[in-house]
Amino acid sequence: MVARGRKRAARESEKGILSPPGYSAIPIKFSEKQQSSHYLYVREHKVREGTKSSWPQKRTLFVLNVPPYCTEECLSRLLSPCGPVQSVELQEKPDLAESPKEPKSKFFHPKPVPVAYVVFQKPRAVSAALALKGPLLVSTESHPVKSGVHKWIRDYADSVPDPEALRVEVDTFMETYDEKMAEEEAKAKEEEGVPDEEGWVKVTRRGRRPVLPRTEAASLRVLEREKRKRARKELLNFYAWQHRETKMEHLAQLRKKFQEDKQRIELMRAQRKFRPY
Amino acid sequence: MGPAHKGAQHRGTAGEPEVMASALEGIGKEGKKESSKKRSGSPVEGLLQPVKLSRAELYKEPTNEELNRLRETESLFHSSLLRLQVEELLKEVRLSEKKKERIDAFLQKVNQRIMRVPSTPETELTNQAWLRDGVRVPLHQVPYTVKGCFRFLPPAQVTVVGSYLLGTCIRPDINVDVALTMPREILQDKDGLNQRYFRKRALYLAHLAHHLSQDPLFGSVRFSYTNGCHLKPSLLLRPHGKDERLVTVRLHPCPPPDFFRPCRLLPSKNNVRTAWYQGQSPSGDGSPEPPTPHYNTWVLQDTALESHAQLLSTVLGSASGLKDGVALLKVWLRQRELDKGLGGFSGFLVSMLVAFLVSTHKIHTTMSGYQVLRSTLQFLASTDLTVNGISLCFSSDPSLPALADFHQAFPVVFLDSSGRLNLCADVTASTCHQVQHEARLSMVLLDSKADDGFQLLLMTPKPMVRTFDHILHLRPLSRLQAACHRLKLWPELQDHGGDYVSAALGPLTTLLEQGLGSRLHLLAHSRPPVSEWDISQDPPKHRDSGVLTLGLLLRPEGLTSVLELGPEADQPEAADFRQFWGSRSELRRFQDGAIREAVVWEAASMAQKRLIPHQVVTHLLTLHADIPDTCVHYTGGLLDALIQSLKETSSTGEEALAAAVRCYDDLSRLLWGLEGLPLTVSAVQGAHPALRYTEVFPPTAVRPAYSFYEQLQERASLLPRPDKPCPAYVEPMTVVCHLEGSGQWPQDAEAIRRVRAAFQLRLAELLTQQHGLQCRATATHTDVLKDGFVFRIRVAYQREPQILRETRSPEGIISLRDTPTSLRLERDTRQLPLLTSTLHGLQQQHPAFSGVARLAKRWVRAQLLGEELTDESLDLVAAALFLHPEPFTPPSSPQVGFLRFLFLISTFDWKNNPLIVNLNNELTAEEQVEIRSVFLATRTKLPVMVIITPQDRKSSVWTQDGPSPQTVFRPPLDMYDVLIHLSPRHIPRHRQAVDSPAASFCRGLLSEPGPSSLMPVLGYDPPQLYLAQLREAFGDLALFFYDQHGGKVIGVLWKPTSFQPQPLKASNTKGRMVVSQGGELVMVPNAEAILEDFAILGEGLVQAVEARSERWTV
Repeated sequence: MVARGRKRAARESEKGILSPPGYSAIPIKFSEKQQSSHYLYVREHKVREGTKSSWPQKRTLFVLNVPPYCTEECLSRLLSPCGPVQSVELQEKPDLAESPKEPKSKFFHPKPVPVAYVVFQKPRAVSAALALKGPLLVSTESHPVKSGVHKWIRDYADSVPDPEALRVEVDTFMETYDEKMAEEEAKAKEEEGVPDEEGWVKVTRRGRRPVLPRTEAASLRVLEREKRKRARKELLNFYAWQHRETKMEHLAQLRKKFQEDKQRIELMRAQRKFRPY
Repeated sequence: MGPAHKGAQHRGTAGEPEVMASALEGIGKEGKKESSKKRSGSPVEGLLQPVKLSRAELYKEPTNEELNRLRETESLFHSSLLRLQVEELLKEVRLSEKKKERIDAFLQKVNQRIMRVPSTPETELTNQAWLRDGVRVPLHQVPYTVKGCFRFLPPAQVTVVGSYLLGTCIRPDINVDVALTMPREILQDKDGLNQRYFRKRALYLAHLAHHLSQDPLFGSVRFSYTNGCHLKPSLLLRPHGKDERLVTVRLHPCPPPDFFRPCRLLPSKNNVRTAWYQGQSPSGDGSPEPPTPHYNTWVLQDTALESHAQLLSTVLGSASGLKDGVALLKVWLRQRELDKGLGGFSGFLVSMLVAFLVSTHKIHTTMSGYQVLRSTLQFLASTDLTVNGISLCFSSDPSLPALADFHQAFPVVFLDSSGRLNLCADVTASTCHQVQHEARLSMVLLDSKADDGFQLLLMTPKPMVRTFDHILHLRPLSRLQAACHRLKLWPELQDHGGDYVSAALGPLTTLLEQGLGSRLHLLAHSRPPVSEWDISQDPPKHRDSGVLTLGLLLRPEGLTSVLELGPEADQPEAADFRQFWGSRSELRRFQDGAIREAVVWEAASMAQKRLIPHQVVTHLLTLHADIPDTCVHYTGGLLDALIQSLKETSSTGEEALAAAVRCYDDLSRLLWGLEGLPLTVSAVQGAHPALRYTEVFPPTAVRPAYSFYEQLQERASLLPRPDKPCPAYVEPMTVVCHLEGSGQWPQDAEAIRRVRAAFQLRLAELLTQQHGLQCRATATHTDVLKDGFVFRIRVAYQREPQILRETRSPEGIISLRDTPTSLRLERDTRQLPLLTSTLHGLQQQHPAFSGVARLAKRWVRAQLLGEELTDESLDLVAAALFLHPEPFTPPSSPQVGFLRFLFLISTFDWKNNPLIVNLNNELTAEEQVEIRSVFLATRTKLPVMVIITPQDRKSSVWTQDGPSPQTVFRPPLDMYDVLIHLSPRHIPRHRQAVDSPAASFCRGLLSEPGPSSLMPVLGYDPPQLYLAQLREAFGDLALFFYDQHGGKVIGVLWKPTSFQPQPLKASNTKGRMVVSQGGELVMVPNAEAILEDFAILGEGLVQAVEARSERWTV
């Protein structure tokens, strides 16, 4: 297999590296020592006219298949020869929906992985990056990247948290949250009982008379209660036909059970479950 | 009223629209067609489908036949399923008509051949020169000299007796018993004496064997013992050719009717003279000869063969239900290994028992097979035949001996219709008790209405090794001869014709039963198997019957006491006690002032205490029976070594776990009493396996050696150093701390997280301030170092999963939808603590639970499957062994529990059954039925293994993420595609490996635990970190297998689908490359680069990556 793989690698170097249409491939290796390389598939980040994107058009490079040891800094360093890099973001999946991103706290969200958006300062750099021949080296003499035991020890050290920083984070968040809540509250209070221009009054949680919360569970509860009420009123086995039907129902149940049982037996027989030896 | 009308009316009342009904009908028909197709065509799929029946079929007018059948089912069986199962089983074990015809033809031929055997002239019994070469007398003729003459004459009569005639013989081994009535000329007066009759019987068979073996009709002609009795050989004939396995005809010679005088053969009479037996001249000192009850019974058995057959055929002959019942009982006994060997509870005995129950009107001839089984079991369970014998004889003849006389001579009494023959003569008391015990268990099972009662009752084999907590083998058996002499069992030997194994069995079991006393629930012994031998060979010696196996079913309450309390020193019983225990008995003064005889056993740990029976057994056997401990092979703690945390100690970790739990209890008290938290603590619950006693290697108190680590002073923590081997693995124990609900909690998921983080910080502060504990808070948990144990406290808020579930529909209705995050949170903060506390409770009830669960986990992980089968699912499977032990009893030793675990997971049909673990007995029978039907309906959506608990009735939380179908059915230690070898230097749990290394690296711990002001390195396990990274990076291409207890190899298996070329897609480029295949661009995994990545990601840990290339291709 390995030999065959080498052959294939050789064949590829003759033919040039294949890439999916629209993408160009850049070989990438961890270090000099690695023999075969991974391939980054890169493309200019484009979206249809009119749709909003969190990434600037023209200046953004969309990168697929980022190897696991490649960090944001790393990618930024590797691509900087093409032009100054403004930002790099790694993600788990390509970004399809145009949801606005909130800055995420490092305490509450762990790092994601293998799709990257690289934003350059200048559009020119994108085309330069597309033309890169590589192979790129992740870890070099001048910029060693830690892996294995060294990386885990560093990760462990990083994971020992700084309680102060955490406290500050929490406090600031809660302050803004409280403010936001207070604002909403004030707004709701203001709107309370005041009809809008069409004359509709919004009923809120804080109204004078309590209303049913608009949840699924609440509506189910109401339905359930109705059903029970109806069941209470009904007379069981009062009329002769009811009697007959109950009996029939019982028979049907037995039949159904019988069929089920027969099926199970069939299966057991197939599995030779009846051989006590 | 026609059915159509009825159907219409029903529809009307049910309010179901017509269209819907007809649509349903269509589906029903289709479904049925499909299922019938499946039935006839391919049962390969083997998956149950929910039954769909059309309305018309469900509500059609019942026929008379159908109603009758339903009524019968209701009155005669307890469910229709059971009835079908019983019918199937009987079909399976019964002989088919075709085979019966073949057997009948064979029997006729046998009859002819026997009649044609030539007679011989009369010779002395001791002169056996007339016997041809190539055949040996199938009897040990000890002493050889005996009076009397013998000649061979063809039998006066050849009759088929036994189960074949009755139609109650069951497969797999079909035997036809044929009685050969020896002509009166062969026998002489006083042949009942001194084994003369048995000698003649054996010679008769030997001559017969010689002639029949010449005949090409027979495939094999061999000797065997009738029911294992060494004085009574029988001749086995098997047909030649392809029918060889069809049938075995057993020939039993018997005396002519009325030849022996029954009064000579009463249990109190002697028929083996001591002088003859011991080879001395008659002493004539007038000492009374000892009675020979067993010898007499064996003679009597031969005389009664035909009358028994007649009795059975009159009782069972016409009633098919009774025959079914006997067949079922035979299967029942067979599964429990009770029916074989000398003193087994044979099929004949059971048939006689049914006959007895019919005669006492406990069973009626119209009963179904199931009811016969049930009534017989009921009788067996409630009657102790060792105390209250029963009799088929109803005559009030004063010359007949009383039942009490039989009780004196035999342990178990069941008299036949003559009133002189004890059918249970060879059955030992412990066999009888075992039968009684089994019957009692089965009755409980039948009464519980369990869904798979049939399966457990009749289809599950109960070999000794899985039934009994401890097993001991006595080997070699020749030691028992010495034991007989030591126990002064000469009369018994004389009675048993020198068979020292059966002579010693009774006294030995009584001895051990007395010695084990309150530790013992039941003692059972194996019966020596009935051997077969070639006619040209000498019969096997007594010692050749292999080993004698004793099984101990222990009583967990009494098991662990180290003290055997005797009578007070001045009581007369004290002497008996001293005599019984020998040198182990000593005088002790107790706290209440009493001075008593007592025996104290040395046992420090729980594991040793569980093995006290071993000490008792070896001590008593050496003392009283002269059996040295080299002959006693005791298996009770065979697997204990695998869960011993430190190989030097003999504890299996129960003590260490208890210490951890005690520390946790202290911590929870501190948490309850904590002052200054804005909200009070509403509950503290453990969520870690150690806190439910199922952590394989329990955490121990640690005290780090600072020099081994790098120190992070400002955060009071230790860090691992790259230049040292990786430090000891310390796993924090998770504890969930619920805070009371309050209106002040924010209603937004992000904000709740922040508030929780604030609580974590506050908790750490307060614990440090008020109790001086070393703490470290993060956003999700607080680590607390207490007495060397590290706990990870997670603050939880009850409503948080609810808030995570809320989604708002466009209309503004808030509905609850499960999301992955909410499910995880729910699992971690609600279900896991609940499970932990329930299993903690289970451990209090069953002390062996911890050991079983841990052994099971150890095994699964050693098979590198630990990642697929979660901790919790394995704990639940282990719990099922205790909660639903049927047809066994809850295990009292880890060993037997583990064996049952293996049996369960190897035989359980996960495809068609959920494993219901009824914790705290919360589920009723009806609920279980419902669960099963829901399971069938939603089978395809459920995970491969489904484990249902009262808390988790539908979804099987603990098996959601695995195992994948491949792993459940993978043979263990299969070849993996790639092996990654790891360096032991960075495996912190290296010493837990199955083959424990003699030495390992220093892990930076001081040997004595003590206070530490710095937080040790927590949860730092390089192999696990490496695995996590591998799974994250290549999880969709390959599966990774690893034994977290010191494994040195990671097995990698490429997913079969991942090597199929994939079309180009932005979402699945990870680790792949583009190649051109047939002019088309496709993506395949970049295998070489990935292999190198394996090495790069695990730099320092990985020693080598071994690609077994031939096993996969791109």
